[in-house]
Amino acid sequence: MGRYVIRRLIQAIPVLFGATLLIFCIVFALPGDPIAALFGDKRPDPAIAEVLREQYHLNDPLLLQYWYYISGVLFRGDFGVNFADVPVSQIMAGKFQVTLNLALTALVMEAVIGVGLGLWAALRRGKATDTMILASTLLFISVPTLVTGFVLQLLLGVKLKQWTGADIFPVAGTFAGWRSYLLPGFVLAGTSIAYLTRLTRTSLAETLRADYIRTATAKGLSRRRVVGRHGLRNALIPLVTFLGADLGNLMGGAVITETIFNLQGIGNQLFQSVYLREQPVVVGIVTILVLIYILANLVVDMLYALLDPRIRYE
Amino acid sequence: MRVTKGAQIVAGTALLALAVAACGGGASDSGGTAAGGGDTTPVRMEIGEPQELLVPQNTTETEGSEVLAALFSPLVGYDENKQPVEEAAESVTTEDSKVWTIKLKSGYTWHDGTAVTAADYARAWNYAALQDNAMSASYFFGRIDGYEDVHPGEGKKPSAKEMKGLKVVDDLTLEVTLAAPFSQFKTMLGYTAFYPLPESAIGPDGKVTQAYGEQPIGQGLFKLDKPYKKGTDATIEASVYDKFPGKKPSNWTKLQFKVYTSAETAYNDLQAENLDVDDSLPPSAIASAKAALGDRYFDEPDASIGYIGVPLKYNPDFQDVQVRRAISLAIDRKTIAETVFSGTRAPADDFINPAIPGYRQGACDACTYNPAEAKKLYDEAGGPKNIEVGYNADGGHKEWIEAVANNLRANLGIEVTPKPFEKFQGILDALDGKEYKGLFRMGWAIDYPAAENYLSPIFGTGAIESGSNYGGYSNKEFDELIKKGDQATDAAEGLKFYQQADDILIKELPYIPVYFYRSNFGHSTKVKNVKLNLLNQIDWADVEKA
Repeated sequence: MGRYVIRRLIQAIPVLFGATLLIFCIVFALPGDPIAALFGDKRPDPAIAEVLREQYHLNDPLLLQYWYYISGVLFRGDFGVNFADVPVSQIMAGKFQVTLNLALTALVMEAVIGVGLGLWAALRRGKATDTMILASTLLFISVPTLVTGFVLQLLLGVKLKQWTGADIFPVAGTFAGWRSYLLPGFVLAGTSIAYLTRLTRTSLAETLRADYIRTATAKGLSRRRVVGRHGLRNALIPLVTFLGADLGNLMGGAVITETIFNLQGIGNQLFQSVYLREQPVVVGIVTILVLIYILANLVVDMLYALLDPRIRYE
Repeated sequence: MRVTKGAQIVAGTALLALAVAACGGGASDSGGTAAGGGDTTPVRMEIGEPQELLVPQNTTETEGSEVLAALFSPLVGYDENKQPVEEAAESVTTEDSKVWTIKLKSGYTWHDGTAVTAADYARAWNYAALQDNAMSASYFFGRIDGYEDVHPGEGKKPSAKEMKGLKVVDDLTLEVTLAAPFSQFKTMLGYTAFYPLPESAIGPDGKVTQAYGEQPIGQGLFKLDKPYKKGTDATIEASVYDKFPGKKPSNWTKLQFKVYTSAETAYNDLQAENLDVDDSLPPSAIASAKAALGDRYFDEPDASIGYIGVPLKYNPDFQDVQVRRAISLAIDRKTIAETVFSGTRAPADDFINPAIPGYRQGACDACTYNPAEAKKLYDEAGGPKNIEVGYNADGGHKEWIEAVANNLRANLGIEVTPKPFEKFQGILDALDGKEYKGLFRMGWAIDYPAAENYLSPIFGTGAIESGSNYGGYSNKEFDELIKKGDQATDAAEGLKFYQQADDILIKELPYIPVYFYRSNFGHSTKVKNVKLNLLNQIDWADVEKA
């Protein structure tokens, strides 16, 4: 088991290198001049642009630029600076904090609400509850995050406070501690909750039809034990797979939610940095995201073994 | 095998690591307590993230300027008549518009307690001008004698470290010699680039230190409470500097800038009273803001202009002035301002903006909407049958450029194609590379509030090489009038010549002015007496808590 984990982690190293080089090349290939972008709608002073290009090694060939970057990371733990000379490590530390809070809030909501509703629907299959849950998930899947975000922000953030004076859901920012993440977490999790509900329902409904469930029931086990221990545990494998893969999406793909709720997170930063062609920032963030994907997948694989004793890793 | 303890620990540890990392945040956001009199809950102001570290000489964008304006006191401010008046300066005088004597008020101190001297100004300006320092505001000092020595241009090494036109006469007197007379120099001095720098700002390597950029020491009304960690901090916090000699707010002491990425979100926060001053209301909210904010909503002229640029240098099709007149007459500016921009713009009728002295209402006769006349002129002049209109797709210009294209198509009976470019720079590169020769979207935000700033940097012959004259317009008579205006011995006399130069532009239409920007801002019920100055910055000393 331990050796399996170590092997997986060693395998991650070339993946990480490949990812950095690939992203570095992609950002390099983007059209437009990053120095000119700093000057907005004015043409930059050529003399100043020249000094800046020299300073950020932009005149050097791609591979040399990559070497400057990767040698800094490997030998000095230095992730470089953006075009305002702010260290990328400082930017990443601050923004990942926010994004991680948001993603985990969303993940917990997904797991609790999604699995909960799915379980409920599966046990009431074909009844009114089931139909209602299915219909509402359809609604959630079809309404874009942009809409749910703005509507919930206006209703629960602005209007609720104006009408009742109660400041339960902050409109924006992270000033109210964990409460700040409830609304954006829910908005971000919205679509995934709906998918997970449907997945849980289907997976559990199928498992509950299996022979060993009938056996368990026939043995006289309580319904709670039959559903929980024998049904849900076996139905969990696709759900865990979904949640593991979703963590990566939640971390990197929260641009809209982060913008609406003014969370200074990684999605937003990535968007801006790609726009400004800040190679070190983009590469740094994407590398960490790749790392998170790899770790999340590893955890998922470990959980498989935990859930189903027949799965073994050697 | 069954799951071993090992696997459980690995899985558990990874999850725990994520959870622990996640818990670290949050708590650090609670505000600190403040000392001093008055109300200590901060007045909260909306900004976007400053582009650079907070160094005045490297700040040419509005967000960073907004913050720096609170930390520094400019040499001159602007009064109700939009004229420069001394603030940190005791007097700014000249005999010939070439040699300027700036006397500083005594009593100004840096936030670390040391006295502000003329040398601090010379240091800042020399630092900004020196090419090797790559300061974005460098060009502001281009008129000072000796600028060529420190900023010789691309591929050349500076032959001096300091401009010979800057002379520190004594602790409170600075003598500035310009390379050529410039009657509007005093007006320039209110801008961010002209703030001083303390000695401690410069590190042993001769550059402004990282630490200074995070926590600049100013000589203005507010002092930063702690370093601003760009990319991490969602707020910038400042308190009134108790030794500031000028006017202070009457009943509050703390100022907080909140960094927003979305104007819609900031507006929602304003409505929920989590924000006190918001000067970038989203166009989508303008209609509802009037009703929602009532007398807390303001709509004032802003000094920026939007044009349709004409590539005179690149395309012979537009050489005939009648073609340009026809295009101008075919644009329905009123509808664009009121409908496309929901009233956040005003129809342009001069090359000088109404916010600035020198504007004459209705000066541009070809800026009216007259489709019949336009069609007639265009056909007579035999204008091109196909026109492209380029715009940068990153700045919300698509809608109005399409409106202009529709106007031209309908009124001139020609084919018009809006052409998106990724960034504005892309249009200029394409023009230079002869890959594109159509009309283009152009905008101008002033560097200093003088009529001259709408003329020579955009239309002067000298600005083709080194300025923002992207269309390549060149007119000797125009250049001559600008020169006369520059040489005038007082600003008012200079203005007469600038207006004559403006008349030439109106006649020739090197660009076609379409709209003037307007500032839309609002504030919460917790503050009152919020006003924007000519540079679109808040006069904090006047703001009161309600």
